[in-house]
Amino acid sequence: MSAAVRALEKAGAGFGDVRTEDRNAFVVRVANEQIQSVNEVHRRGWGLRAFVDGAWGYASGTSGRSADAVQAARKAVVIARRGAAAGVPPSKLRKMPSTAITLEPKVRIEPRDVAGEEKVAAAMEVCRSEKREEVANTNASYADSDWTFELANTWGACLQWREVRIRIAGQAVAGEGDRRESAFDFRDGTAGWELVKALDLAAFGRGLAQEAVEMLRAAKPPAGLMPVVTDPGVSGLLAHEVMGHASEGDEIVKKRSFLTDQVGKKVGSALVSMYDDGTYPGAHGSIPFDAEGTPAHKTTVIDRGIYRGFLHSLETSGVLKARPTGNGRAQDFGRRVWVRMTNTYFGGGRDKKDEIVEETKSGVLTRKWISGMEDPVGGSFQAVTQSGFRIHKGEVGERVRGMTLTGDALSILKSVDRVSKEIALDGGTCGKGEEDYVPVAAGGPYMRCKIVVGGG
Amino acid sequence: MRRAQSEGADAAEAYVITFTSRSVYIEDDVPKVAEERSETGLGIRAAKAKRVAFSATTLASPADVRSAVGAAIAGLKRVPEDPDFSGLPTEAGKGEVRGAWDAATATTDTAGLLDAAKTFTDAVRGSKATSVPKAIVRIQEYTFRVANSNGIVANHRGTLVFAYLTAKCGSKGKFGEGIVKAMNTSIRPIDFAAHGATVARRAAENLRARAFKGKLPGVAVLDPLDLGEVFLTTVGSAVNGEDVHKGRSPWAGKVGADVASAGVTVRDRPRMPSGLASGVADDEGNATQDRTLLEAGRLKGFFADRKHAALLGVPAGNGYRRAVATVEGAYTRPAETEPSNLVVEPGRKSLEALLAEVDSGVYVEKFAAPEVNPLSGSFAMEVRNATLIKKGELADHVKVALLTGNFYEGLKNVVGVGRDLSPSHAFLTAPGCAYVPPMAFDGFELVGQS
Repeated sequence: MSAAVRALEKAGAGFGDVRTEDRNAFVVRVANEQIQSVNEVHRRGWGLRAFVDGAWGYASGTSGRSADAVQAARKAVVIARRGAAAGVPPSKLRKMPSTAITLEPKVRIEPRDVAGEEKVAAAMEVCRSEKREEVANTNASYADSDWTFELANTWGACLQWREVRIRIAGQAVAGEGDRRESAFDFRDGTAGWELVKALDLAAFGRGLAQEAVEMLRAAKPPAGLMPVVTDPGVSGLLAHEVMGHASEGDEIVKKRSFLTDQVGKKVGSALVSMYDDGTYPGAHGSIPFDAEGTPAHKTTVIDRGIYRGFLHSLETSGVLKARPTGNGRAQDFGRRVWVRMTNTYFGGGRDKKDEIVEETKSGVLTRKWISGMEDPVGGSFQAVTQSGFRIHKGEVGERVRGMTLTGDALSILKSVDRVSKEIALDGGTCGKGEEDYVPVAAGGPYMRCKIVVGGG
Repeated sequence: MRRAQSEGADAAEAYVITFTSRSVYIEDDVPKVAEERSETGLGIRAAKAKRVAFSATTLASPADVRSAVGAAIAGLKRVPEDPDFSGLPTEAGKGEVRGAWDAATATTDTAGLLDAAKTFTDAVRGSKATSVPKAIVRIQEYTFRVANSNGIVANHRGTLVFAYLTAKCGSKGKFGEGIVKAMNTSIRPIDFAAHGATVARRAAENLRARAFKGKLPGVAVLDPLDLGEVFLTTVGSAVNGEDVHKGRSPWAGKVGADVASAGVTVRDRPRMPSGLASGVADDEGNATQDRTLLEAGRLKGFFADRKHAALLGVPAGNGYRRAVATVEGAYTRPAETEPSNLVVEPGRKSLEALLAEVDSGVYVEKFAAPEVNPLSGSFAMEVRNATLIKKGELADHVKVALLTGNFYEGLKNVVGVGRDLSPSHAFLTAPGCAYVPPMAFDGFELVGQS
């Protein structure tokens, strides 16, 4: 690494860094109580980047030879110069103090110390527990990952850290004639095997089967603008997809975000506070350092309805004259750094979930998210839920099929009038546009607000 | 492969892929980031009786081969038997599909990509008050070889061009954005200037769009790019032999039944010239063949990888690991049943002719995310670029609205099929490419604030 860093400097990079990654993963998939695949994957490589007069050049590879990395360093500088010559305006990075730190993850039972047979058996138990007469197809998966990073840069940083993640998931598909409905759930986090040990796998599987069967009887969701009590996962999508993506510093620099000029302004009701926190214990998006070597940080994005600020990389910190927040992240050694979220969530309030429902005359309660989509430019929100429930006169009524929620994000946040004490975070992966996936988490409380609902 | 057999496997398969990738990222009209990368990887599948294990590694030295084989052999000891495993392929596809690899594209360097990006940016900026906040242009050249202990060897090489292009217009906190994607095996046919004009128009229309109020049942005309993604996740799943075998497909047991309107014919075409997923061999090495899945709305059959082909009694040839927007990561997963080029037979009408036939409805060029439940077909997708159709004419631009319905039911109510095919993909690392024309569906409903 040191030879590559020296080569970056010698070739004329104003700044440069080298990151090596060694990624191990163990993945099990089972379906209908039969093994589908057991995969053990080892991937490693290095990525270099050079910053020249405002432009970045990246080069990456997998060779173990130092000479190849040195050659790539020179290439990265040439590529950056080519970009600078094409008209990139000069910019400055926010310089970070040089440090030498090694960090190990806080994992109680290392997944690498657990026998593969146990991991297969865990997935198989979830799958087996989903089985019942009305269920046409049972599925489960287990995955753990163990990534080691080393980073050095031209400012003298020398860092080493590990990230360990684990995930167990199930999906039951119920069938009746031509009709198919499913239920999906998972548990994940920056944790070890203790996460699986703590889970009642059989109950987890049976719950999925029950929910899938109930989905066969679920009604079409109502349509139109109405009161919606969002569950923590769907609240998390609102935090992540709209307010989170639109708070990424690079979108602000480009003025591509509808939040560009909103600092200090009211963007939600006084019940709404929102954070991005890469230090959140055990959450799927937690990281010791980002891909630039900046330590993870808790950033207040919204404080009691007032918009407070952005998430930053070294470059957006320099341009916007702010402190780096540890949000410069990359999918892997071969991909570029963008400003990305970590664990993004709304803070809790004072209500209880049941009280919120009791005080809702008519509306819907969401149940589990499937996906969401960002719109930093327009500020509109889209979330797809797995299912939900009608609320009639303060009581949870019939189950409804998956629905899509949409609306103007600021209007939704300003309509928030009840917020539960309890919050929860779900893990997942997040893309920028439709590429560059990084592990994240999102969540929040049960929140009541007004959203446009529809479903097929 | 030989090493795996010497260490105790009855059968083994090795898949090696190497690729080089060059990308340019435009931010605020300028080429902010450019990159070059290369990677080689190995995937090993080892089998002993009915036990099958897979391991994968970045390939940088002979030690990597030893460790990957060791992991696969160790895996054999801990996996339960797979009673459905029927061995590795015995016949490989030979030769090349015309246009899958393009020499000029393979040799295009970052300077060439900068030229393409500049053509796009100039076209966007030529429009009033419009800029390019973000665009990506990427080229990949890749080669893979798959060999197994039955003695088959299959080779394939290809080039992929992927462009994600955006434009923005507006001021004072009110902005509109347009997005298009372009995919091809060659960079030459991609008209970056035309894409620039398209995204600029979409951005301007998005800025002018008003929140839709109420409900509008009627005809929905869908643009090919997002419609292709919907086809991949619904039809691509319903005719997927693995999903059929597992009981997930709503079309299991329906061969010979009418599942779509008579105007809908769908084929899987791995031998289509210049197809993004084309090849004479799939990623298991099986010889590929074009096949009809739906003919005039009638279900004709399914596609499958080696394992599920044997279970369903259909030809193998659809075991894939590489995606069509990028091949990165292909070696890290075993081949699974996936479509190659899923092609909807085009009709004879231009888009304008399709729109002219609509009395009342909506034309959707872009959804926030074109997601449909592949099991039930139900959907509610937020429209990002949509225009109402009144008496055959495009009228008001609308947003903050959901197009809702059931796609499997919609396939039975297709009232128009356009003539111009466009490629699209479902997810970054998901194999399969759809080539679909614009199509008109009756029975969907646009839902806004009420």
